Amino acid sequence: MNMFRFPVRNTPRKFKKSFGVGSGPAERIKKLQMLVTALIRNERLEAKESYCLETRGYVEQLIQIAIRNGDRHAETMEKADFWLLEKDLVHKLFKVLVPRYQNYSTACTDFHFLPKKVPGSGVQMGILELKGNPWPPVVPRQRDQGHLLTNVLLSSAKAEYRMEKKITPDLRNGDHDKLEQAANT
Amino acid sequence: MAAPCRKIINQFVKRSLKCFEPRVIPCRWSNTVRNHTVEKHRHSPLSSTRELVNQQDSPSDVMVPREFRFVHPDFLPYPVWNRRDRVREKLEREDMLKRRAVIDIPEFYVGSIMAVTLADKNAPGKQNRFVGICIDRAGHGLYHYFVLRNAIDGQGVEIKYDMYNPLLLKIEVLKLEKRLDPQLYYLRDAPLEYSTFRLDMEPVSVLKGAQVPLNAIKVKMNPRPWCRRWERHNLKGVLPLDDYITEKMKKQKQHPQIEKPWEKHDLMLKARTSIDDREVDQIMTEVYKRKEKIQKEKFQKRGQEGKREVKKAQEVKK
Amino acid sequence: MLGKLFPIPKMNKIAQAGVLVFRGPNACVSAFPIQSFSTSPCLNQIIKLSRMKVVDNSMLGRKAELASKPARVIHIYNKKGVGYLGDKVLVAIMGEKKRAYIVGLRQNQKENVPRFDSNNIVLVEDNGTPTGTRIRVPIPSCLRNREGDFTKILSIATKFV
Repeated sequence: MNMFRFPVRNTPRKFKKSFGVGSGPAERIKKLQMLVTALIRNERLEAKESYCLETRGYVEQLIQIAIRNGDRHAETMEKADFWLLEKDLVHKLFKVLVPRYQNYSTACTDFHFLPKKVPGSGVQMGILELKGNPWPPVVPRQRDQGHLLTNVLLSSAKAEYRMEKKITPDLRNGDHDKLEQAANT
Repeated sequence: MAAPCRKIINQFVKRSLKCFEPRVIPCRWSNTVRNHTVEKHRHSPLSSTRELVNQQDSPSDVMVPREFRFVHPDFLPYPVWNRRDRVREKLEREDMLKRRAVIDIPEFYVGSIMAVTLADKNAPGKQNRFVGICIDRAGHGLYHYFVLRNAIDGQGVEIKYDMYNPLLLKIEVLKLEKRLDPQLYYLRDAPLEYSTFRLDMEPVSVLKGAQVPLNAIKVKMNPRPWCRRWERHNLKGVLPLDDYITEKMKKQKQHPQIEKPWEKHDLMLKARTSIDDREVDQIMTEVYKRKEKIQKEKFQKRGQEGKREVKKAQEVKK
Repeated sequence: MLGKLFPIPKMNKIAQAGVLVFRGPNACVSAFPIQSFSTSPCLNQIIKLSRMKVVDNSMLGRKAELASKPARVIHIYNKKGVGYLGDKVLVAIMGEKKRAYIVGLRQNQKENVPRFDSNNIVLVEDNGTPTGTRIRVPIPSCLRNREGDFTKILSIATKFV
């Protein structure tokens, strides 16, 4: 049904003032060209939320047509030549990214929101990245802290406390059911 | 001094309060349920989840002829994805095939000359036949339509027909042809001789399996005024319009706002306004299979009826 | 004050510096150059002062065509104020007031209803009988179920589409 592998807005975002006041759709495409080139070069991008999400669609489409048609297809080559301003990236697209994403059934990019400095004001920033990039992950992997000595002691204390509570329920509150359960166990 | 300060503070307070306000959702489609809301609760095998789509992508044993999708553009659904509904589309396709089993809808293109017979309760023979050149075909699914144009008694007449209208009794293609343009609305502003066809025209036979002939005729337009600004449409089937337009119009034509050069490589624009090739293949494979099955059933029915008739005749003889 | 800033030209000057403002049924002449205009296609609705083509063989219609002074709608006999297929209108033609029926429209029509290249009318007398004796162009077949005075027009039609 929906062939997009990522959320897509029905109408494109207008880039206001992407190249100063009075910039229109031509400047929007120019800005997008730069963003796409930067993303393919560095595999990670920090920009406004709207810029990131708009770039995402173009990068996904470019990689998908590259996967589908290969580098012998004239139209695909033309599109790659248009969108990648630095020409050595055309080789990267077909030789590195196409094999990497060939068997993906999900989107090949990831988007993360960045926190705002002052809540309720300012531009929302975000991070766009290609999946499988060599950088350290944006969302840090949580270390498993259950084996630390203090945590082990604390957890055992908790368990003990719960056990006690189960066995000696409060009779003044009329907790007869709990008493019966405890008796059964 | 105080007034602008207060203004700025007010603005700041308003802006900071905005994030705590409840969001108002516009109730444009308040009487309908959005498709992607319904989609989560559907359990049919037509599921739109990614895994199943990938399974459908796998090469099937049925080979669909390449030109099948150009012959049947009416099976393609409306491309805007959030207005689509896969179940409705499937049901529509089924209805279309059922209608096609009853009435013979031949292959035709914009530019071919056609005759349509329509049931008309007011006409003396309860039928009305119109012959004309097909100047446009559009619409998605069950709402596919085509427009015929002819000049009768020096008066240009155009009729729009819904292709799956049950009032249509017969669709004939008198001359199978293609033209250089996807729409021929410019014939309205051309001399009438280009759109005049005899009502008793005889069908021109075309060899089976041969390529559809292309009519590369170039039309000479009437001088302005026109119903549209044809100089901006980049028409191929028209002689150059330079004599008819002013210098200012030539300059205007090259204005970026009219030429829109940025749309040429816009990948997302293409993805939003057209249906993906993989999905087209899926739909065409499904339609092709169903069509073959329906035809087989039809032949079997005919064969059984024929046998019964033969039996009856033999019994009568006895 | 306004008059001093933008002096309004006199009537005879308006007529001299006439510019055709827009085409279609509401074409008119204005003295002032246009700053902004709509480029959307015309709706082609039949309203008051729309120009119509007489398609029967009456002398009056032929005379108007030769003098290139088309009939203009002055009144439409329905409550919408817009004339559609089969509606009765009052037209001004060669300095006369005449009643007429609309038998063809340039406007986009519904499916199976023909659309013509011009707005066609057939003139009728005040008592309902058509002025001409023959209609020169085809008439939409969907008008055949009309009753009353319209049957007289159908009887002089030559072709239906």
